[in-house]
Amino acid sequence: MAFSPPPTRTAVGDAFAQAGMLLSFTASTVAALGRTVVRRRLAWRDVLEQAWFLASVTTLPSLLVTVPLGVVVALNVGSMAGQLGAEGYGGAVVAFVIVAQASPLICALMISGVGGSAVCADLGARTIREEVDAMEVMGIPAIERFVVPRVIAAVLVTTLLACLVMAVGIGASYGFQTLVLGDSPGGFLGSLTEFSRVEDFVIAEIKAAAFGVIAALVACFKGLTAKGGPSGVGDAVNEAVVLAFILVFVANTVLTELYAAIVPARGAY
Amino acid sequence: MAAPVSRLPARATRPVVDGFAALGTHSTFYARVLAAVPTVLVRYWRHVLRHVNDISFGSASLLAGGGTIGVVFAMSAVASTQIGLEGYRGLDIIGLSPMTGLMSALVNTREIAPVVASVALAAKVGTGFTAQLGAMRISDEIDALETMAVPSVPFLVSTRMAAAVLAVVPLYLVGLFASYAATSLAVTQIKGQSSGTYDYYFQLLLTPGDVGFSLLKAVVFAVIITLVHCGYGFHAAGGPEGVGRAAGRALRTSIVTIAIVDVLLTLTIWGTQPTLPGVGA
Repeated sequence: MAFSPPPTRTAVGDAFAQAGMLLSFTASTVAALGRTVVRRRLAWRDVLEQAWFLASVTTLPSLLVTVPLGVVVALNVGSMAGQLGAEGYGGAVVAFVIVAQASPLICALMISGVGGSAVCADLGARTIREEVDAMEVMGIPAIERFVVPRVIAAVLVTTLLACLVMAVGIGASYGFQTLVLGDSPGGFLGSLTEFSRVEDFVIAEIKAAAFGVIAALVACFKGLTAKGGPSGVGDAVNEAVVLAFILVFVANTVLTELYAAIVPARGAY
Repeated sequence: MAAPVSRLPARATRPVVDGFAALGTHSTFYARVLAAVPTVLVRYWRHVLRHVNDISFGSASLLAGGGTIGVVFAMSAVASTQIGLEGYRGLDIIGLSPMTGLMSALVNTREIAPVVASVALAAKVGTGFTAQLGAMRISDEIDALETMAVPSVPFLVSTRMAAAVLAVVPLYLVGLFASYAATSLAVTQIKGQSSGTYDYYFQLLLTPGDVGFSLLKAVVFAVIITLVHCGYGFHAAGGPEGVGRAAGRALRTSIVTIAIVDVLLTLTIWGTQPTLPGVGA
C-alpha cells in the first residue's frame, strides 16, 4: 500500500498527516472507480456480497433504534406543541425530523458503527497478515478490489435503509401520538402531507448516500493502514468509528444548511 | 443416511439456544462486574485513577484528536447547532421563532445532549474498551492474569466501570455546555435572532431539575456502555478480526440499548404529557 504514514512527532502533525492521507485515499478510490467502470471489471459479485452483509447486520438494529426515536419525537413535540396551541403540528415536525434528519443519521450511525467496524476489522486483519501486500504483488490493486465494491455496497445499503427507517419512524410516531397521546389521526396526517415535500426525501437520500461513502472510505482507510498486530486492528476499528461519527455529524450540518439555503420551507401553519 | 434429517431440528434451534447462552453469559458478567465495584475502589484505586485519565484524555494520537473531551465536545456542538437551525426553521412555520430558546433548554437538556454525548462516549471510550480487552483476551493475557491469581473481572472491568462513572460527570457537563453554546450561537449568529429574546426563553425554560435528570441519564448510559463494551471485549474470540467484529457488535448493542433506555427514562421522569416549565398551561 502507498499509504504508510510519515514519521511525525506531534499530535497536530499526525492529525494533518492523517487528514492528507485520507484525502489522497479518497482521490485514489475515485480514480479506481473510474478505472473499474471504464475497463468493465467492477467486482459485481463482491458488491452484492458486501451489500448483503451490511444489510443483514444493520437493518434490525436501525429499526430497533428508530421505534424509540419516533416515540421520543412524538412525545416531546406532540404534547408541547399542544401546550403552545398548535395541536396539529405533530405531523409537520415528524416530516422534518424523521424524514430529513433522523433517518439518514440513524443509517449513518449503523453503517459506520456496525458495518464500518466489521469492514475495518476484516481489512485490518488482512493487512497485518500481509495478505493485502501479497495481492498487490500479484498485480491485484487493493483499492480496486477491496475499497470500490465496499463503497458502492455501503451507498446501496444506506439509501435503501433510509427509506425503511423513514417508514418505521413515521409509523411509530403516528401510532404513539394517536394511540397513547390521543391526538387526532386526521390532524397528524393532514399536517404531515401538507408540510412534507419530495425535496425532503431527496435530500435525505443524498445525505444517506454521502454518509455511506464517508463510512466506507474511513473504514477501508483505517483497515488498510492498520499496523501493530491484533491490538493494532482493535485500535484501527476504534479510530475508524470515532472518525466516521465526527465526519458524519459535520457533513450532516453542512448538507442540511446547504439544502435550507437552496430550497425554502413550504407552507404556512 | 438418516443422520442429517435427525440433526435438522438441532440446527434450527441452534441460534436460539446460542442467543440465550450469550444472554446468560453477559448477564452473569454484568452482575460480577457491578458486585466487584466497591472492592475495586479500595483495592485498585490507583488503576481506577489511571483509567479515569485514559478515558478523559485518551490517546490524542489520531485525527479525532483531543481525546474523549474533544470528541464529546465536537459531536455535541455539531448536533446542537443542527437543533438550533432546524428548531428555528420548524418554529418559524408557526410564527414562534422567538421561542427557539425553548429548543435549547428542553430538547438539548432532556434528549439530545445525553444521547449524543453517550454515542460519542460509546464510539470513543466503549470501542476502546472492546479493543483493549479483546486484544488481551486473544493474546491470552487475561488467562495469564488469572494464573497469577489476579481476579480478572474486578481488575480489568470493574476498575473501568468505576473510572467511567467518575469520568462521565465532567465529560458530560462539557458536552452539555457545548450544546447550549452551539445552539445559542447558531440561533443568534447564523439566524440573526436577538440574543436577549433567545436568553429570555432559554432561562425561563431551563430548570435545575432538568439538568440533574439529564446528568442522571448520562450516568446511566455510561454504565450501560461500559458493561456492554467490556462484555463483548472480554468474551472476544477469533483472532484480530474477531476483536474488530466484537467492537462492532458491542456498538450496535449499546446504541440500541441507549435508544430504548432513553425513551423509558423520558417516560419515567417527565411522563407521557411533559409540561413546559414557566409557560403556564
